[in-house]
Amino acid sequence: MASRDVVSYDTPLSRVLRILASLFLALYLVWTLLPFVVMFVSSFKDMLEAFKLPAVGDWAGITVFFEFTPTFKHYTSLFTENSFGTYILNSLIAAGGSALISVVFGSLAAYSLSRVDFKGKQDLFFWIISTRMAPVVAVMVPLYAIFRSLDLVGTLPGLILAYTTFNLPFAIWMLKGFFDNVPYAIEEAQMVDGATRFEAFRAILPLVAPGIGAFIVLCVLFAWNDFLFAAIIGSGGAKTLPVATRELVQPQNIQWGSIMAAGVVTTAPMMLLGLVIRKYLVAGLTMGAVKE
Amino acid sequence: MATVTIRNVWKYYGETPAVKDLNITCPDGSFVSILGPSGCGKSSTMRMIAGLEHISSGDILFDDVRVNDLAPKDRDVAMVFENYALYPHKSVYENIANPLRLRDVKEATIKERVEGAAKLLEIGHLLGRRPHELSGGQKQRVAIGRAIVREPKLFLFDEPIAHLDAKLRAHMRGEIKHLQRTLGTTMVYVTHDQLEALSMADYIAVMHDGELQQWGTPSEIFNNPVNAWVAGFVGEPAMNFLTCGIKGEGDKVSLMHRNFEIPLLAGQVRQLNGAAQTGTARMGVRPDALSISMTKPDEAAMRGEIFVNELLGGDMLVEVALDDCRIRVKTTPEFAGKPGEACYLTVNRDKWHVFDAGDGHAYF
Repeated sequence: MASRDVVSYDTPLSRVLRILASLFLALYLVWTLLPFVVMFVSSFKDMLEAFKLPAVGDWAGITVFFEFTPTFKHYTSLFTENSFGTYILNSLIAAGGSALISVVFGSLAAYSLSRVDFKGKQDLFFWIISTRMAPVVAVMVPLYAIFRSLDLVGTLPGLILAYTTFNLPFAIWMLKGFFDNVPYAIEEAQMVDGATRFEAFRAILPLVAPGIGAFIVLCVLFAWNDFLFAAIIGSGGAKTLPVATRELVQPQNIQWGSIMAAGVVTTAPMMLLGLVIRKYLVAGLTMGAVKE
Repeated sequence: MATVTIRNVWKYYGETPAVKDLNITCPDGSFVSILGPSGCGKSSTMRMIAGLEHISSGDILFDDVRVNDLAPKDRDVAMVFENYALYPHKSVYENIANPLRLRDVKEATIKERVEGAAKLLEIGHLLGRRPHELSGGQKQRVAIGRAIVREPKLFLFDEPIAHLDAKLRAHMRGEIKHLQRTLGTTMVYVTHDQLEALSMADYIAVMHDGELQQWGTPSEIFNNPVNAWVAGFVGEPAMNFLTCGIKGEGDKVSLMHRNFEIPLLAGQVRQLNGAAQTGTARMGVRPDALSISMTKPDEAAMRGEIFVNELLGGDMLVEVALDDCRIRVKTTPEFAGKPGEACYLTVNRDKWHVFDAGDGHAYF
């Protein structure tokens, strides 16, 4: 891949634009990060301290935000008074299970679509991706009816199935691009070397690993952050973190401290995951699109 | 080691035939080259032998075993692909070891065989590298290493050196030929480069438009082409063709052109066998079967005008304008003629060919 210089020369206008861009980015950073900071800090505050606010315009009073005695009581209450341990596990199982199922079936389907020509292939491919075109809400009621009649409402398998119906088309669509970029000759070489078709398929999986990795992350993120499916199909027996957090809002008593702590517990794992795999995720998402 | 028999094989892609009624027998231990331009069906033929494509009709046999319905892995062939098809995520060692691993060979044997193959190909120092760290020639050696490590019944080489630079290609031609002689394994080698086929193969199958044109040793193909197409495809610089009239007077038959009349040799009159005693024919002469001089040597010489001179190192190629056509002549670099000057061409009649003007088959 040839890299080349994007040549630009300074003009008064470009300098002004650069300053404006930096200003915009600084404001944008505050806009995106402040909620997380407030959430994180508040989760360690007592109720009274959390609501100590400086008067409007009193910039010196901003230190009030940081005058508190850290407490872990909200976190302990999440795991003692509520069963957040179970909810974390539910979230993990639902997200991981659906990612696993989607990636297994998705890569098989994507491989077939990439390698085998058959009548109506284009239509089939379009149909698969078209299932993602309707918003989830639009199909929620019929889905709920189907899941209820199958006794899947409120169960983890039900939730996994629900996520899979939405993740699988995405997996097929995304992974097909990766398989398309693997030269067919590599599998042929494998088969001549003595591999069966399935062994040849397995042998090229490392070549689409960046795609599979990127997909698993996106899939886990989707399921982990989902509220709609979790609230309707998972409600009751398969409560996940977002739903459990929502339930901390009770008519007489909004448990702000616990909500903040639950927010941290929900976001932290995904943020850490994002940090760890950031490099691979970007590589995976762009690699499929660009042919060498 | 195996004799490969291709019997009445057809290959269709949809309605289009790519290979038409092909019949070839590759003797055990021989080096057979399938030669033809792109789209002639040579790669389809090889892929059918490998089992990577279905055979539309006909049979392929290894020795006496029909392999039509065997999967590639059960045919015991080894193939080198045009683009090498190395496994990019595996080291050179693992690439070469792959066919053995798939057959559950013991680790110690694998090590011994891989190192043996690497030594033969002089890539022992590269075993730890990944394919993307190798040059084209090195990748090609690794691909060959992967093929020879297993001692298969049959080697299939699909234009393996087409992407190398000219110098390395010349070097690898010798290496591959030597390798095949050393191992003694039957080899089918597909190429579009007539020089590769001529220089390496024991037998050449020339294909065009899905049909086998000629089967023979390199010298048969070069010296006795069966038709004008083969004659024009094989040989560099290419054979010159001139459409001539035929004039027959008893036992004497001559080729007539606007500015020359050349009698056929006695034996050649018989080979013409009365066919096209009158009418037209195509004369074919290779550039090295012509001699050029600035003065008229005899009555049968063709008069032309030098169009351009090309010095090819040890030889000089002179392009001569003869009425409305061009004839290329190979001569020595000392040749002094300048473009625009008149010159005379004499045909070595022991080495010329006459083809039918219609279907192009060779009379001699």
